[in-house]
Amino acid sequence: MLRILLINDTAKKVGRLKTALTEAGFEVIDESGLTIDLPERVETVRPDVILIDTESPSRDVMEQVVLVSRDQPRPIVMFTDEHDPGVMRQAIKSGVSAYIVEGIHAQRLQPILDVAMARFESDQALRAQLHARDQQLAERKRIELAKGLLMKMKDCNEEEAYTLMRRQAMSRQQKLIQVAEQIIAMSELLG
Amino acid sequence: MNEPSAGPLAWVNGSDAPEKTEISLGFMALSDCASVVVAATQGFAQPYGLTLNLKRQSSWANLRDKLVSGELDAAHSLYGLIYAVHLGIGGVAATDMAVLMGLNQNGQSINLSHGLQGLGVTGPEALHRHVHQTRPKLTFAQTFPTGTHAMWLYYWLASQGIHPLLEVDSVVVPPPQMVAHLQAGRIDGFCVGEPWSASAVQQDLGFTLATTQTIWPDHPEKVLGCTRAFVEQYPNTARALVMAILEASRFIEDSLENRRSTAQLLSAPQYLDAPLACIEPRLLGDYDDGLGNRWHDPHAMRFHGDGEVNLPYLSDGMWFMTQFRRWGLLRDDPDYLAVARQVQQLDLYREAASAVGVASLGKEMRSSQLIDGKVWNGSDPAGYARSFKLHAMSDNSPRLANC
Repeated sequence: MLRILLINDTAKKVGRLKTALTEAGFEVIDESGLTIDLPERVETVRPDVILIDTESPSRDVMEQVVLVSRDQPRPIVMFTDEHDPGVMRQAIKSGVSAYIVEGIHAQRLQPILDVAMARFESDQALRAQLHARDQQLAERKRIELAKGLLMKMKDCNEEEAYTLMRRQAMSRQQKLIQVAEQIIAMSELLG
Repeated sequence: MNEPSAGPLAWVNGSDAPEKTEISLGFMALSDCASVVVAATQGFAQPYGLTLNLKRQSSWANLRDKLVSGELDAAHSLYGLIYAVHLGIGGVAATDMAVLMGLNQNGQSINLSHGLQGLGVTGPEALHRHVHQTRPKLTFAQTFPTGTHAMWLYYWLASQGIHPLLEVDSVVVPPPQMVAHLQAGRIDGFCVGEPWSASAVQQDLGFTLATTQTIWPDHPEKVLGCTRAFVEQYPNTARALVMAILEASRFIEDSLENRRSTAQLLSAPQYLDAPLACIEPRLLGDYDDGLGNRWHDPHAMRFHGDGEVNLPYLSDGMWFMTQFRRWGLLRDDPDYLAVARQVQQLDLYREAASAVGVASLGKEMRSSQLIDGKVWNGSDPAGYARSFKLHAMSDNSPRLANC
């Protein structure tokens, strides 16, 4: 059973979604308003999906969403009355997987959640890939920098510098990037 | 880095960029995983936009399962494992497989226990006598039922007049556990890759009876294997992977110092987790068989040989199928050449080789003479498979004249 953290950010005391969700068979943990610390609640409740019911997403809501997406990403579905495409774009950018305007019917909840979760998974995969690519590029730059420093220090050519760094790394059972960092640190120390 | 530095950059930014940039790369703790480990840790893949994540496996069966399930993208693999899985005799449902390149030649060996040495069994003739006169049967370990070590063990025993399936027993033991099994007296001998033979000799538990290069000088051994689905889905990634590992292979053989530091890297806990003294000598070609004989081996383990080692010759792949047939693992002749053409990714290899300036001759076959005097050149695989005096073919088809 899907565990849903439901955030009611509307003026109504009892949100419009809780009954529909419970009837559709979900486990619902509900919270009123966004005076709560959303990342902290996500950490504690460990929901599969976060649902935010809001008349119009405020700046505070967006900020909380950004924090969650950054630190403990979850599929986030936002139900709202706000039609403004600008707000919608901002919500998606903050990390909302599905932005649903009006019209909440119990029978539509399941497909909405399914789409949100699929979308979330593919976003996560893409993000991981981009992150790996960034990291790899950063490593390459550090290795290039170290190679340049070594070429100056040892007055040798590029290939020789690579070979020296690799030999050093291998005989110390390290990766090339580790030796590159040591060369950079040493060169900074010696100014 | 023999490439001009703009080369790989232009390549990675162009349309040939790898479709998948993070690769799970499986390996077993064996000296012949060197080029894979060096490529992954020494910055050979980054210029092509690849990150290689090494995953050590505990047994060949384990590695096979993860390769087939896709948990591993590619792996340091036994030639025979890839072909067996492809043909549906590898212990799992038939899956189309691919050999991207050869990783090494030579460097495995057959070893006997100290107990046998004590009985004077220190050479082929004495072993032959012992096997034919003594009960119970000796137990030999290899590393995978259709693997290279099984095939070398069978081939060597048969070349000495010992039927490997009838006159001795065989068991499967993962390479890093070989020495412990020998010590516990569960096996009398084994065929395995380094450093585990050298380790048995070093610990004074056994001696090296025959190196596999005496069976077939410059024999094919480990390959870079993956599923065919992987090559089809990620051709640019596969090509980049071959390029990175080719450059690492070339680097290892560039100088004696490079070979030495390779041995040091391999001895680390996360790779072979074995003492340098067990890894380095044989990696440099210096053998001590544990019986007082020392020599420098002209056909020691090699990783590159100007590309000779890395070209996935069709005849190399076919040879393993002929031995599967010979020992009854295959009940019928496969279409040797057609299967080898499907599995060996010759075109992809040639593109990768030329991109990093490694010669990839137009040849698809090579000719070699093996320990029993037979010549294998890939020209008549079915005839070759049934040309052996000792075999386990179940059919009654007429055999060739020299049986």
